[in-house]
Amino acid sequence: MARIIVVTSGKGGVGKTTSSAAIGIGLALKGHKVVLIDFDIGLRNLDLIMGCERRVVYDFVNVINGEATLNQALIKDKRVSSLSILPASQTRDKDALNKENVGKVLDDLGERFDYIICDSPAGIEAGAMMALYYADEAIVTTNPEVSSVRDSDRILGMLASRSRRAELGLDPIKEHLLLTRYSPKRVEEGEMLSVEDVEDILAIPLLGVIPESQAVLKASNAGEPVILDTESDAGKAYQDVIDRLLGETVEFRFLVAEKKGILSRLFGG
Amino acid sequence: MADASIEFKGSSFTLSVLHLKTTTLADLREDLIKKVAQAPDFFYLVPIVVDIERVDSSIDYQSVKLLVEEFKFTFVGFTGSVAKEQKKLIRELGFSFVNSANSPANNTAKVDTSTKPVAAKPLAEPKNKQAEFVPKLELYTDKIHRGQIRSGQQIYAKGQNLVVIGSVSAGAEVIADGNIHVYGSLRGRAIAGAKGHHQAQIYCQNLEAELVSINGNYWLSESMEQHWSSPAYIHLSDTELVSSKLI
Repeated sequence: MARIIVVTSGKGGVGKTTSSAAIGIGLALKGHKVVLIDFDIGLRNLDLIMGCERRVVYDFVNVINGEATLNQALIKDKRVSSLSILPASQTRDKDALNKENVGKVLDDLGERFDYIICDSPAGIEAGAMMALYYADEAIVTTNPEVSSVRDSDRILGMLASRSRRAELGLDPIKEHLLLTRYSPKRVEEGEMLSVEDVEDILAIPLLGVIPESQAVLKASNAGEPVILDTESDAGKAYQDVIDRLLGETVEFRFLVAEKKGILSRLFGG
Repeated sequence: MADASIEFKGSSFTLSVLHLKTTTLADLREDLIKKVAQAPDFFYLVPIVVDIERVDSSIDYQSVKLLVEEFKFTFVGFTGSVAKEQKKLIRELGFSFVNSANSPANNTAKVDTSTKPVAAKPLAEPKNKQAEFVPKLELYTDKIHRGQIRSGQQIYAKGQNLVVIGSVSAGAEVIADGNIHVYGSLRGRAIAGAKGHHQAQIYCQNLEAELVSINGNYWLSESMEQHWSSPAYIHLSDTELVSSKLI
């Protein structure tokens, strides 16, 4: 049985697609068979972040409508062969998906892959509900600021009430908190919520803390998921996330601001 | 009679009761100004019964009626356990006298209908009278919710107390006809005594609520400063909310 993981948040722009891409590649690099699905129909981004936008021929909606087979639509990643991407359609809207057909596609994918990562659109409307409906686990991506935390809280309520698992009375979706764009310096200055604050409000287990990093933007523009940048803090933090997802206990890094030495301070290090 | 254009029926309502502690009109006016200023809309055209039990019979009934009407209440009548002569006088002056459902006079008359043992207060303690016109006091059972109540969720314990084992998030709403207990942080809205239960209380281990309300009296966060971010419970004294330290 494949693990179906939805990457969701409620609020937009918090790093869902960046995280989906990083987690997809990270799991594939560990030797697992992974498929990334872009549920953001009409605003496809995942293929850009993954650097495969020029290879999109058929998409998720074509498969749903029976206009293409999964084999035709799946794009194999050029860096990691065990990773595939099912891109969203740019020309359709979110109403193109329906539960029954999405369920069928997920069943088919489940036979071929170990992990199905669903990159959810923002919001709490039909598209986001579709992305989380079949999930076994949810990675709730949150920025350390109040509106993002509030929206994540809302999504957690949806996960507990609107998913297939909730409707059938099965074990609830396993929830993980992924804090992104974290800046320890700004937390110390009182401008940003701390990890403890967010954990206290959302009350779900912490999967990872990704530090605010220039590397993320660079990686997105280059179509090279940031986890491949093994020198960057963000890349390392995503690596830790993968290890924790696979059941390892890894200490949290990048939670305190680096104390700059006098030399680096003088020379603007 | 079946096709008569009107029909008389008895029905019970919750009415606001204004308890007078003095007959000095200037004092009453001053306190009413303060009270009404707190929530002008809330009191607008609210039907009100004036309880004269705690004041002597020297009261100027006409002036009291005009006073409450001046504050845009809808005057209904007087109430309180007072001597028969006084009731008679009030009626002769042209005002209604409303017998509170659990005043001694009614308790004796309606013994059969009072099915709840708790409600029948000893006659020797009429001053413990309840503010409700509805005598129905129930022994509430508990509705227990395990886990967080998330933003956007609403839980209503109809005819019950609500026990939340977890926190109530900002943007969530918990409502109970009885008491509300939150074993966690209360950051959303809590509405206890929703159907007019004056004794309802709200307990929480961490008070950071957006709003608390008991029997229609409410507080926004700014009124909770005293016990903000600490374990506290909220209750009603007469018509004012009071917060107290829990532990």
